[in-house]
Amino acid sequence: MTRKKNASISATLATATCALLGTAPAAPVCAQEIDRWDFDTSLLYYGEDNSRVQDASIGLLATRDFLDDRSLSLGLTVDALTGATPSGANTQPVAQTFTRPSGKSVYTTPANELPLDDTFRDTRVALTANWQQPLGRMYSFNVGASASKEYDYTHVGFNARLARDFNNRNTTLSAGIALAMDDIDAVGGAPTPLSPMLDVGVLSNRMDSESKDVFDVVLGVTQVFGRNTVAQFNYSYSDASGYLTDPYKIVSVVDGITGDIVPRPPTPGVDGPSHQFLFEGRPDERVKQSFYGQVKHYMSGKVLDASYRYMTDDWDIESHTLDLRLRWPLGSERYLEPHLRYYTQTEADFYTVGIVDGQVLPAYASSDYRLGNFDGITAGVKYGWKTRNNHDFSIRLELYQQRGDIPANLLIGNQAGTVSYPDLDAVIAQFAYRF
Amino acid sequence: MQLSPNLPTGSESLPRLDKGARAWELEPHGHFWRASFMAMGSPCELLCETDSKADAQMLARIVINEAWRIEDKFSRYISGNIVDRINSAAGADIKVDAETAGLIEFANLLYEMSDGRFDITSGVLRKVWTFDGSNRVPSESEILSIMRHVGWDRVSWTRPVLKMPKDMQIDLGGIGKEYAVDKVTGLLREQTSVACLVNFGGDLAVTGPPEQQASWQIGREALQGPSASPSSLIQLQAGALATSGDTRRYLLKDGIRYGHILDPTTGWPVAGAPASITVAADTCVQAGMLCTLARLRGPEAESMLVDEVLQYWCTWP
Repeated sequence: MTRKKNASISATLATATCALLGTAPAAPVCAQEIDRWDFDTSLLYYGEDNSRVQDASIGLLATRDFLDDRSLSLGLTVDALTGATPSGANTQPVAQTFTRPSGKSVYTTPANELPLDDTFRDTRVALTANWQQPLGRMYSFNVGASASKEYDYTHVGFNARLARDFNNRNTTLSAGIALAMDDIDAVGGAPTPLSPMLDVGVLSNRMDSESKDVFDVVLGVTQVFGRNTVAQFNYSYSDASGYLTDPYKIVSVVDGITGDIVPRPPTPGVDGPSHQFLFEGRPDERVKQSFYGQVKHYMSGKVLDASYRYMTDDWDIESHTLDLRLRWPLGSERYLEPHLRYYTQTEADFYTVGIVDGQVLPAYASSDYRLGNFDGITAGVKYGWKTRNNHDFSIRLELYQQRGDIPANLLIGNQAGTVSYPDLDAVIAQFAYRF
Repeated sequence: MQLSPNLPTGSESLPRLDKGARAWELEPHGHFWRASFMAMGSPCELLCETDSKADAQMLARIVINEAWRIEDKFSRYISGNIVDRINSAAGADIKVDAETAGLIEFANLLYEMSDGRFDITSGVLRKVWTFDGSNRVPSESEILSIMRHVGWDRVSWTRPVLKMPKDMQIDLGGIGKEYAVDKVTGLLREQTSVACLVNFGGDLAVTGPPEQQASWQIGREALQGPSASPSSLIQLQAGALATSGDTRRYLLKDGIRYGHILDPTTGWPVAGAPASITVAADTCVQAGMLCTLARLRGPEAESMLVDEVLQYWCTWP
């Protein structure tokens, strides 16, 4: 520290203190005032090609540090979603007309085009709060709550986690639980699963608001291996029950020989679907288990972060996720972080591309592409830098490609030529600022 | 809240000269062991970053023994100690030991540096000034009569002999706590490489940064008592922090606020002084004296700290 010329008081005191204590100070003072509040802000854009889903999202996370490693964080996210999603109906060589989810009007998909439900438009506001603190010498504890609201969906959740350090704090065991209570207020009312799509104005198969509860348990162990490596392993068990069906997804009713969607005779004077469609129906319970391992390895400035997740559920979906990130410092203030993620899943046992007309209805059926058999690859890069006053900026750009196929044994007749998995390409751009 | 009933909270006691048993406690505190006890009229604590209770006990004994030794030796409330002997000498020569001489020498220097405003004979002013939030401001004549017993310049000090007029008193309380913090911290450094924080009533020093969290985090309100406004969180890796000021101690009369820091050259409180100042310095003694010297400058307190290129935190009334 440079002292001004007239700054004799400190210098005189320093000399006198040395004489009084009989020693020189062990080390020069090193103190900083820290901001009690930290803010993480982000702007995210997610856009799918062919005017499918577009999401613009603003995120704010405020963290306040208290003494003794206690902290409170409060989060706010606002999403604006627009665009269209595949409804589940098959592509046909003829135009198809559908009743909108509201039951108030119809829309038509031209021949040979993938039917998209274009009424997808929503704003979502989500809030989170989390409190973390040590308990005694070896434990740490956190509790949190979350809530979100969008036009047709309300979520309220709680979570708690307890961790204990062992082995000179090189090992941490943790156990957490989470509880979510969600309400679905579908536009026009949630349809009875596997009931037919009806004419405009007919809402006899619609139900009042539905609910869904999710209970999660996560057990984890974190282990430090030497100075440069830390690994984590988690097991999680998740039980969702209630209305798990997507109220806007439909399944085609197809001819058992040709595989074409069965036409529906029009009701005179009333708009309605041109073909026969059923609202999808899923089981009212889903139990998922997943195993997750992550290794972070520090190697002369670079940090490799590799993780793998295996998930299996009682809907017969199995998935594998491999995620790799490498943080590559460019000097002391900047870094580049390439990111590669690979995801693959098998289809749910009730995934179908059509229910055969005249046969007994299956217990469950869905043509939602998200329950199909597909692979997804995300590739991107993040560039981050630190300002002089220790604020962090980062920009992330990623491309996502999802490709799937429909198992041959599900295809009937003409479907082999007309029905294919709705592939997806998306771009993700994010700007983040931490201060 | 404690999860394990087996975690120790053992309290032990050491003999005390005159007031019966002195208690102290050792308990787990986050990643640290925390020993707490009373000394020099203040709650005192040691935080040490070790998993071993035995090590924590050993370090706590070092800290507590030294704190109580310094209290016993220099408290003006304990009869028979060196301060009592000086104060009851009634004009006779008192020869003091080397440690006491060091403190008096230091006080003498502060007296010169502060143009007489830091004065270890000024304690008697408390006989007329009681800062209890009331409007009981003493009269000019009360102040004048007590001022006859104030003034370091009337004391003859030729190391190691001190000769003080009858009816005057010295009080080393303005240096004692900071001195004790530095002495204790020095002893800890000699004994252990474990990171320790010593906090005697808000004056504190550390032996080095803790391993688990890179720095000690100190809330400034913790330095000032619960009534102070919550403000800064200070990270300390090395050195010391001291705080001067008590936002609860003042008098209020005819709309004028009298803060508790007294100017012994006038017998009146220093007008326009900050309610409290925290300074960071290499040692607790330096930090504490800088706080005091700055507050004695009243409204000029901050400009002195700025000129000295110090790290400080200032609260105005």
